[in-house]
Amino acid sequence: MSEENKLFKVTIDNITIEVPPGTSILHAARMIGGHVTPPAMCFYTPLKESGGKCRTCLVEVSKGSERDPRPMPKLVASCRTTVMDGMEVKNVTSQRVLDARKGVVEFLLINHPIDCPICDQAGECDLQDLSYGHGNEASRYEFKKRIFVKHDLGKYIQLHMTRCIMCYRCVFTADQVTNKRQHGVLFRGEVSEIATYIEKSLENDFIGNIIDVCPVGALTDKTFRFKNRVWFTKPEDAHRDCPTCCGKVTLWRRGNQVLRVTTRKDQWGEVQSFYGETGWICNECRFEKKDVNDWVIEGLSTIPRYSVKGANKYKALEVPHETVGEVIGRKPKLMMDIHTVSDVNNPSIDLSKIQGPATSDVFNKKQIEDKKEN
Amino acid sequence: MGRKLLLEKADVEGIRYFDTYRREGGYRSVEKALKSMTPDEVTEEVKVSGLRGRGGAGFPAGMKWSFLAKPEGVPRHLVVNADESEPGTFKDRYLMEFIPHILIEGIIVSSYALGSNRSYIYIRGEYAWIVDILEQAIQEAKNNGFLGKNILGSGFDCEIFVQRGAGAYICGEETALLESLEGKRGNPRIKPPFPAVKGAWGRPTVVNNVETIASVVPIINDGGAEYAKIGVGRSTGTKLISACGNINKPGVYEIDMTISVEEFIYSDEWCGGISNGKRLKACIPGGSSVPILPANLLLKTAKGEQRIMNYESLSDGGFATGSMLGSGGFIVLDEDQCIVKHTYTLAKFYHHESCGQCSPCREGTIWLDKLLHKLEYGQGTMRDIDLLWDVQKNIEGNTICPLGDAAAWPVAAAIRHFRDEFEWHVTNAQEAQTRNYGLAHYADSIEVTA
Repeated sequence: MSEENKLFKVTIDNITIEVPPGTSILHAARMIGGHVTPPAMCFYTPLKESGGKCRTCLVEVSKGSERDPRPMPKLVASCRTTVMDGMEVKNVTSQRVLDARKGVVEFLLINHPIDCPICDQAGECDLQDLSYGHGNEASRYEFKKRIFVKHDLGKYIQLHMTRCIMCYRCVFTADQVTNKRQHGVLFRGEVSEIATYIEKSLENDFIGNIIDVCPVGALTDKTFRFKNRVWFTKPEDAHRDCPTCCGKVTLWRRGNQVLRVTTRKDQWGEVQSFYGETGWICNECRFEKKDVNDWVIEGLSTIPRYSVKGANKYKALEVPHETVGEVIGRKPKLMMDIHTVSDVNNPSIDLSKIQGPATSDVFNKKQIEDKKEN
Repeated sequence: MGRKLLLEKADVEGIRYFDTYRREGGYRSVEKALKSMTPDEVTEEVKVSGLRGRGGAGFPAGMKWSFLAKPEGVPRHLVVNADESEPGTFKDRYLMEFIPHILIEGIIVSSYALGSNRSYIYIRGEYAWIVDILEQAIQEAKNNGFLGKNILGSGFDCEIFVQRGAGAYICGEETALLESLEGKRGNPRIKPPFPAVKGAWGRPTVVNNVETIASVVPIINDGGAEYAKIGVGRSTGTKLISACGNINKPGVYEIDMTISVEEFIYSDEWCGGISNGKRLKACIPGGSSVPILPANLLLKTAKGEQRIMNYESLSDGGFATGSMLGSGGFIVLDEDQCIVKHTYTLAKFYHHESCGQCSPCREGTIWLDKLLHKLEYGQGTMRDIDLLWDVQKNIEGNTICPLGDAAAWPVAAAIRHFRDEFEWHVTNAQEAQTRNYGLAHYADSIEVTA
């Protein structure tokens, strides 16, 4: 093997893998996959210079390299640290990392409104996944949260600064994908915000992509807002001949209705590449083509995403203490059990066993099967 | 009386101007370096001197210079960090205001060593009048052939530009400074790459403090070995200390790093004792971001040795019982000062100055601020003190730049050493609004002399 092609050996949580030089620790961990992979809120592979800001991907480097085996004194951001030959990294096996990550999650949530029930991102939200996976049950923050006014960034995009975690992804996207960036970060510290300097709309053919890169519900698609929950919609790969972009998208459908069009994302929630080019899509594909006939459907999206909606995490961790009985002196009468009526929350179906998100088809099929058995 | 190197001629009338400065022996080092030494020899001399960065971290300057990448055909830069915004530190202001030429001289020699043809002084925006002083000094040096093209016939070109900051503390962090210098938002960069490889405009850059660069002048004049003889151990040379707080004689003092802290505070030559005959309660020895020390630990280390004003002695005992020399902002607190209020003031400062780029610092500093506000104004609980400790622990070491650490350390040290005072604020909330906790046991083991 020649010198340039030499692979670097890196050990992450006692699993050794060989990666090409220049790979970041995060990417090496993603090659291994599973629980070894640190979460990343601000890093986005197609965007240059992104990462290093959210500090959720911190890992401990217990051995720098074969040549210099000293451990790194501080936890390092795995997304921006490249591997060295013989490096040993601890992620979930290091209590220090887990504690730091818990701290970071707590910090990210202290000013986040946690308005998931009314947020369009809920179900595919990176912050939601992160806090389920790494956060505390409760926050210790007892002061008022900071609040921003909602901004309209043009015809299609709404900015909900209150939910923003300042990952800078949209700034990098606008910088690198569109030819002119019109928004950025204003002010500093905890009042810093994503904004256009003088309130104005963002006009660019590719500006819609900032919705896709947003890890939280800060940037939302105005054509989809409050139309539906993501877990009720069915993602399908589709394409069309688009003169401006690659035209390869994911359609989010309910019945015959196209509710939303997004870029195709891989299992890490990042835009897929096609023939070496990142699959950003244009505004026309995203916002204007809401008819099934505009698209050639390729089939259901098969990317397994470890997410809130995918892992069926929507169940109460603790059953709340029922106090009605104590007050009225008897057990309350059950007027209607929603579970026997609703298709969606029907407990006879284990949502986690279903491939992809649950749709009414799944429940109908189940009912037919049940009838046959009876 | 210690030896003075930087402020030796500070009292000479008209030292601010080129003619007087030159008459008093100025620009000798430029002549010596450019005429008789190679750039590598200058770097080597600085290495031998053991000069440590005077901005706060104390990283050996010669080492930093030798890390500078030198690719062919790529310009290199020297950037002087004059963004002195640390509360309690005002040594660079004094130096630049009264002896600007020593900085210019140092920059020329350092630029020669580093091969920088365009060097920059990034100065704090609030030092508006010093910009004029520096620009005048640069003009004078240029008129006399010490700047510009082909300096002293050596073939070396050097230009110095003064760039004003816009009032952000974070721009004192070297990578944020470079971003700001480039005209961008002053956010610290993620390291690596370090500025020595990819600095201003992607070119190799060395960022040094004003005092570090000025110290190059005596090093070249007298030789590095001679400079290394001053001081003890790895703390060589002299250090400017800006003393303030409850002392009789606040001001900028140049010390060789051999005198004890006790002597520095109580001797008439330096601070002249605590004002109004009060007693010493605590002290921040190196600018607001280093841990505060109670009087008993300040004057003597945990091992019972006398504490000396130098890098090693002040950091003896780690953060458990020690502190840091930092940037030399010596803030003295007397028995009437309230530690909770003091910590709250600092937390408020760091909250205001956080750039908002990384989450622990952006969200953590406001949390510290709010918790301390609550404690200071009598609404605190014991749980808040523990929470404060947890929050600072989650910030420390997890941020992009040292501002997170700087925000966390003072809080950590205040709780570590003065926890009883915090608890007193909780239990005696009413009383805490009207009077201060006082000295308690912090100074018990110390006889107040002199």
